[in-house]
Amino acid sequence: MNPTQLDTISVKTSDNVTLGYTVGGLGSRLAAQLVDNVVAFALVIIALLLYGAIAGAYVSGSQGEAFAEGGAAAFAFFVYFGYFLVAEAVTGGRTPGKKTMGLRVIRIDGSAADFAAIAVRNVVRVIDLGVALIGIVVMFFQPQSRRLGDLAAGTLVVRDRAMVSLAAAVAPPPIILRTPDAGPGIDGIDRLGNVEHDALRVFLSRQGLTPALRASLAADIARRLLDRMALPPGAPERLWPAELFLERVYLQLEQRQR
Amino acid sequence: MTLDAFIAERQARWAALEAAITTARRGRLRAQSASDIERFGTLLRQASSDLAIARRDHPDAPVTEYLNTLCARAHPLLYRGTPWRLGAIGPFFATALPRSFRAAGPYIVASLALMLIGAIAGWVAVDVRPDLRASLVPPSLFDQMARGQISGGVQDAPFAAAFIIQNNIRVALICFAGGVFLGIPTALVLLSNGWMLGTIAAAVRIGGYDVQFWSLIVPHGVLELSVIVISGGTGLMLGDAILRPGQLRRGEALARVAVRAVLLALGAASLLVIAGTLEAFVSPSSLPDGIKLAIGGTVGVLLYSWLILAGRTGRRRRAFGFDRPAETPA
Repeated sequence: MNPTQLDTISVKTSDNVTLGYTVGGLGSRLAAQLVDNVVAFALVIIALLLYGAIAGAYVSGSQGEAFAEGGAAAFAFFVYFGYFLVAEAVTGGRTPGKKTMGLRVIRIDGSAADFAAIAVRNVVRVIDLGVALIGIVVMFFQPQSRRLGDLAAGTLVVRDRAMVSLAAAVAPPPIILRTPDAGPGIDGIDRLGNVEHDALRVFLSRQGLTPALRASLAADIARRLLDRMALPPGAPERLWPAELFLERVYLQLEQRQR
Repeated sequence: MTLDAFIAERQARWAALEAAITTARRGRLRAQSASDIERFGTLLRQASSDLAIARRDHPDAPVTEYLNTLCARAHPLLYRGTPWRLGAIGPFFATALPRSFRAAGPYIVASLALMLIGAIAGWVAVDVRPDLRASLVPPSLFDQMARGQISGGVQDAPFAAAFIIQNNIRVALICFAGGVFLGIPTALVLLSNGWMLGTIAAAVRIGGYDVQFWSLIVPHGVLELSVIVISGGTGLMLGDAILRPGQLRRGEALARVAVRAVLLALGAASLLVIAGTLEAFVSPSSLPDGIKLAIGGTVGVLLYSWLILAGRTGRRRRAFGFDRPAETPA
């Protein structure tokens, strides 16, 4: 999680904890819109067919026809925009299109978008779509891809991250040890702590390094650790191969923690 | 504490929170009892604090990302505004809407002023240049008035009503949404509606069709124009929030005002259903002009007694829209 990255935002919650969200970008938002449009237009067509059947049966006179035609256009408008309003309100900000693309509407403080916020962003949708697609222009320039409706409602569309399973998250990655032997006790080990332990584990569990790269990385880390442990210049540890030294430090830190 | 010990100690709570999240449907927590929610809150706060610790001590560990996802998903399940229920509609119209109307008073007065400016300008324009009458007012209107028929007749009234209602609701919603452009589109809609009313009123006065005209406008017009003025007022509120955000950032000020004003705009727009029905069934009907004017007057008195008097309490409460604290635990 890198908070300076453009497409991620940090939300400071009421518990004063910062949550990281990935913002739904223009592309996935438009794709979601496309899926929702398919559903909305299907509803519009069904509604207009019903309306046409009723109007055909009852309208008389040319002025009545004119009203029925005007009514059809207005009716289509309401079914189209009404679909988005109802779909968002009922699903808590995940219309079928957004669900397909793994998007969700939240308020900018991280809380769920309530009815009022959803009402605002869907009423302003008329402007976002109706005025030369200005919503898309605004989303393009807005760092968090918010359209006018989002700005007015104080909402934001974020990506629903796939839930990393707990087991996968907590399972330590396999450690690659060449010599599973802690070796003789190292003097300055007390100066090392969790940070170094975690760093070593990350290094030792890293796969796919070429031997040359692994060796040079190991040499670099070993040099820093030796400095931190303040070993005298003549200490035997300084003569160990870097990779062996790192493995022994790691194993001894492990032993200390048990 | 090492990462392993950290995980071992707290893993069970995270799993419990995760299990609770998976039972949520449609963004809502399905809790069996109040104690379930309390427990959810405790688990979320524990996970949040675990996340803070993990961020500090193990920023690159996969478990940090896991906790972030966990908390990000759990947080909106607990922290949310008042849920919208069907049963809330009654109290909304009984108290919340009139209160919002009164709280928005200055903006609604400004909105009314814009419409009146348009109307007066239209009236004066036709009065000064009667030769422009033909270009401002469709001549067919006069023919129809002379013949005493103005609409398709009551047999097509349901379609006329549907058309009028939807068209007016659209105008009302655009009045609100136009607020995001500093309220400029809102002001234009108000001015042009006033202009239309002014020019037509002046033209029919010259033509001598006063009574027929007003009996055609008043039954629905009182309600319809009131709603346009109210939604115009909500649009002006948004524009004002952007122009004068006070201590807040402009976006924040806009969002705060908008979520309060939208309920007033939607509630007022729903009144257009009544106005449109009157416009299609009563205004063009063959009822005597006096009765039509009386209906309009009655509607006006009822509307404003409700908006001005309903929902008053002993204490002066500035309850605007629903009381909605920024974050309320569900």
